[in-house]
Amino acid sequence: MMLTRFLILIAFTLSATSAIAQEDAPIDPQEGLATWAKIFEIVSHPRCANCHVPEDNRPRWSGAHYGLEEGEWRYHGMNVNGGEDRFGTMTLACNACHQQENSDVPHGPPGAHVWMLAPVEMVWWQKSSGEICEQIKDPERNGGRNLEEVAEHIDHDHLVHWGWDPGPGREPAPYSRKEAVEFFRSWAAAGAPCPDVAEATQDYLEDQALPETAE
Amino acid sequence: MQLTVNGQNYNVDVEDDMPLLWVLRDELGITGPKYGCGIAMCGACTVHIDGQAMRSCSVPAGQVDGSEVTTIEGLGSPEALHAVQAAWIEEQVAQCGYCQSGQIMAAAAFLSINPEPTDSDIDQAMSANLCRCGTYPRIRAAVKNAAAKLQGV
Ligand code: FES
Ligand code: FES
Repeated sequence: MMLTRFLILIAFTLSATSAIAQEDAPIDPQEGLATWAKIFEIVSHPRCANCHVPEDNRPRWSGAHYGLEEGEWRYHGMNVNGGEDRFGTMTLACNACHQQENSDVPHGPPGAHVWMLAPVEMVWWQKSSGEICEQIKDPERNGGRNLEEVAEHIDHDHLVHWGWDPGPGREPAPYSRKEAVEFFRSWAAAGAPCPDVAEATQDYLEDQALPETAE
Repeated sequence: MQLTVNGQNYNVDVEDDMPLLWVLRDELGITGPKYGCGIAMCGACTVHIDGQAMRSCSVPAGQVDGSEVTTIEGLGSPEALHAVQAAWIEEQVAQCGYCQSGQIMAAAAFLSINPEPTDSDIDQAMSANLCRCGTYPRIRAAVKNAAAKLQGV
C-alpha cells in the first residue's frame, strides 16, 4: 500500500516536472519563423486578403475562382465600396447581397453571420510577411488584442471561419482553423518572431513581380 | 412562416432556404421584383427588408421571418407616387423597364440614408443595379430630381 502511494507520488512529480520543463524549454526562433510563414500563407490568401484592404475601402477579387492567374487581381465588381464604416452602409450595404450563409448556387454570393471589410488598420492586401507580422502583434492595429486574444479571435470569429468554408467553387484558405490557432499559439510561444521587414518586402515584391515603388 | 409584404400579413408554407424572390413571385403573385441573374449580380430583384435595399433572389425566406418587406407595389400607388417614382416618370428613365423596379427600390432606400448625394455617391450606391438598355444617365438625373423632391426644393 505504502509502496503504491510512493510510486503514484513519484509518477505525479515526474509528470509535473516534465510539464514545467516543456513550458520552459526555449523554442528555436527559426522554428517560430517557419510557423509564421505558414500563418502568412493563410493571411495572404485571397479568402482573407481580399477583404483586408486599404483606405480605398474597395474589396478585391483575386484568386483562381475569378479566372485570374496568381498575382492578378481586380476590384470587386460593380464599383462596390465598403465605405468608411466598412459595412457599406452609406454606399450599398454588404449584406444587400451577402447573406448569413453561403449561397449554394454556383457563383452566388458568399455569406457569413456578419459580412464586412476588416477594419482599415488591419490592412493585409499586398503587405509583406514582415509587415503583417509586426502589425498582427500591435494592439493598435489588431483590435486591441494580446496574442492569446488574437488566437481566440481566430478560433471563435464567424467571419474568420468563413475563410475555410467559403462556399461552392471557392478555394478555402490553406490549413484549417484548428491548425491556424495552433500555429498562432506556437508562434507566440516562440516569442512571436517576425521576418525582417525590409528583406521580406523585397522578397515579396520580387515574388509578385510588382513595381518596387509607385511613381 | 410569417411575412409582412407591403403592409399585409401572409402565412406561407415554404422551405426556409427558398429565395425570397420565389416566395414573392410564385407564392404570393407579387411580380414587381424581377428575376435577372439569381445570384445577387444584377439588382433586378431589389426589395426593401426593414427599409434596406436587398437582393431578394439571394435572401433565404427563413431569414426574413417576421421582417417587413416592401416591393415596388408597396412603395407608392398610382394616385400617390413615391417621389422616386414621380422623378422616374418625369425623366422618362425606363426603356424596356425590366431592371427598373430594382433601380427605383435601390434609389428610394439610398435616398432615405443619403438625401443629398453627390454624383460619386450615386455611382457607388447604384452601380450594382445593372441596366442592359443603358439608362444610366437618366437614372442619375432622376435620382437627383427625386432628392430635390424629397427635400421639398
Ligand atoms: S436577380 Fe437578384 S440580383 Fe439579379
Ligand atoms: S430599362 Fe431595360 S434593362 Fe434597364
